[in-house]
Amino acid sequence: MTPQKDGKGEAPQASPHFPDEDAPVDLSDIRPEDGIVLVLFWVLAGVVFLQFFSRYVLNDSIGWTEEIARYLLVLVTFVGAALAVRKNSHIAVEFFYRYLPGAWGRTLSTLVDLLRLGFFAAASWVTAKLALKTNQKMASIELGKDALYWVVFVAFVAMTLYALRVAWRHWRQGYSPLTRPGARQLVD
Amino acid sequence: MLLTLLFVMVFGLLILGVPVAIALGLSSLVFILLAGQVPDLVVIHRMVNGVDSFPLLAVPFFILAGNLMNTAGITNRIFDFAKACVGWMRGGLGHVNIGASVVFAGMSGAAVADAGGLGTIEIKAMRDAGYDADFSVGVTAASSTIGPIIPPSLPMVIYGVVASSSIGQLFAAGFIPGLMMAAALMIMVAWYARTRNYPRDARFALSILLSSFQRAFLSLLTPIIIVGGILGGIFTPTEAAIAASAYALFLGVAVYRTLTVRRLLRVSFDTIETTAVVMFIVAAASIFAWILTSNRVTEHFAALILTITENPILILLMINVILLIVGCFMETIAAITILVPVLLPIVVKLGIDPVHFGVIMVLNLMIGLLTPPVGMVIYVLSRVSGVPFERCVAATMPFLIPLIIVLLLVTFVPQLSMFLPTLIYR
Repeated sequence: MTPQKDGKGEAPQASPHFPDEDAPVDLSDIRPEDGIVLVLFWVLAGVVFLQFFSRYVLNDSIGWTEEIARYLLVLVTFVGAALAVRKNSHIAVEFFYRYLPGAWGRTLSTLVDLLRLGFFAAASWVTAKLALKTNQKMASIELGKDALYWVVFVAFVAMTLYALRVAWRHWRQGYSPLTRPGARQLVD
Repeated sequence: MLLTLLFVMVFGLLILGVPVAIALGLSSLVFILLAGQVPDLVVIHRMVNGVDSFPLLAVPFFILAGNLMNTAGITNRIFDFAKACVGWMRGGLGHVNIGASVVFAGMSGAAVADAGGLGTIEIKAMRDAGYDADFSVGVTAASSTIGPIIPPSLPMVIYGVVASSSIGQLFAAGFIPGLMMAAALMIMVAWYARTRNYPRDARFALSILLSSFQRAFLSLLTPIIIVGGILGGIFTPTEAAIAASAYALFLGVAVYRTLTVRRLLRVSFDTIETTAVVMFIVAAASIFAWILTSNRVTEHFAALILTITENPILILLMINVILLIVGCFMETIAAITILVPVLLPIVVKLGIDPVHFGVIMVLNLMIGLLTPPVGMVIYVLSRVSGVPFERCVAATMPFLIPLIIVLLLVTFVPQLSMFLPTLIYR
């Protein structure tokens, strides 16, 4: 329970390094379609920086930056959420599965996969209805607000498809991260 | 009746392991379809509106800044500097752990980022120096909760948006309580070090202190830019977040040259993923909170609490207990978005400043991060340390005591939170 070093030791080794300090960077979880959200994110960063810069340096913040930044945040949220669905990284409580026998775990985790799929499918449908009903214009640029909802719609459709694939993969491999948190997941 | 179903559904889905955002969204959608009073379009409309907010723009960029600093080697330099400052004390690395968390807290706004980035170095360093794994995990877990109390802070941003109170004031309010948490934890470490006879890890040497300060100088400017900028009223929180990201990017690319294109891509995707997960919860929680408000659940709850007692001290104690329990079961961001509309009217009626209440609430929920079943910080640390989850929980338990003492002090001595905001903003 006590450290092995005696009380007068020298400073231990040089500074500890990050595990990835010199290791190659792993980007194997990234897919070509992630380019879209990457661009959205850095455009958002650019717009927010421009807003900051114009307020401080030019002493006059550029008006459209605020509205556009908000919309881009909405898009990064929903398009990014699709990425997180594919990687199955939305936060969930896996705690109670520690105390469930295997068969129950399998059944319930399959139910979770189906409920998730159902929600995304329903949300896609409702978003399309909302987009069709919207004829409001954005304040600072010549674009209908329905354009925003259509992108959210596409994101929900992507979530539905990814959720379908995740569910299918869990079914094939016989477990999900809920029932075996540390286990290797099948890669498609 | 339907409302009961709504609560049962959310709770059931959460326990079942449905992701938090989906549990909230799905129950809300089912409720609205069954109730039939408003069109189902409201669900998506509220979800989108919930994230369509200018102050929330601070969220992605505080996450980006934290990730950039972890990857660019800024975190290592801060750890080294903390070691030179307090490493000579008995149980030194325990104190270093806390000290580094305080500095890191001034740059990052999420406990989980603190645990995942800085925590990895801290646990490795303590293990190499021969500390037992339980102590290392306990200190790291407890000290990572300082992150969202000392500004900047993601939970405070969310609280500010939901409670429509000034995020700048909330940030200022967390400063002193955050330092108190650090002090309380250091007392705990000192006590451990005495009873377990932990070593001094290094002699105090001015030369080492100076050289590590020199190496860390540019990194140490980051918390000064952020905290100073916000407390000094120079930056809004969103501006501080983008300035910190730009500065970390500059250090990583031009000064330390640690950020390659591939690393930058990795940082970008990690940031996007965390942002989306957090904001998707905000979106789903805002439709849920809207249902609670529009069905007057919040009013009834307030009335109920006030019939039990009107004694502010008892009510605050009750709210603390509720928050601690909710914090065990619910993810921080969702808890804030849902509970602020419920609890804020009660505390405002009692004459408690919403800014003060923000600190109380976030501190409660941070303690919840250290307890199962939803102890996010414990999950992260269990993963990076390889210590089994149950042992991590047990190792962290003793450290809840100092944190709860600070929580009680912060709850009942409003000046601790309100001194700085009053000084700066009024």
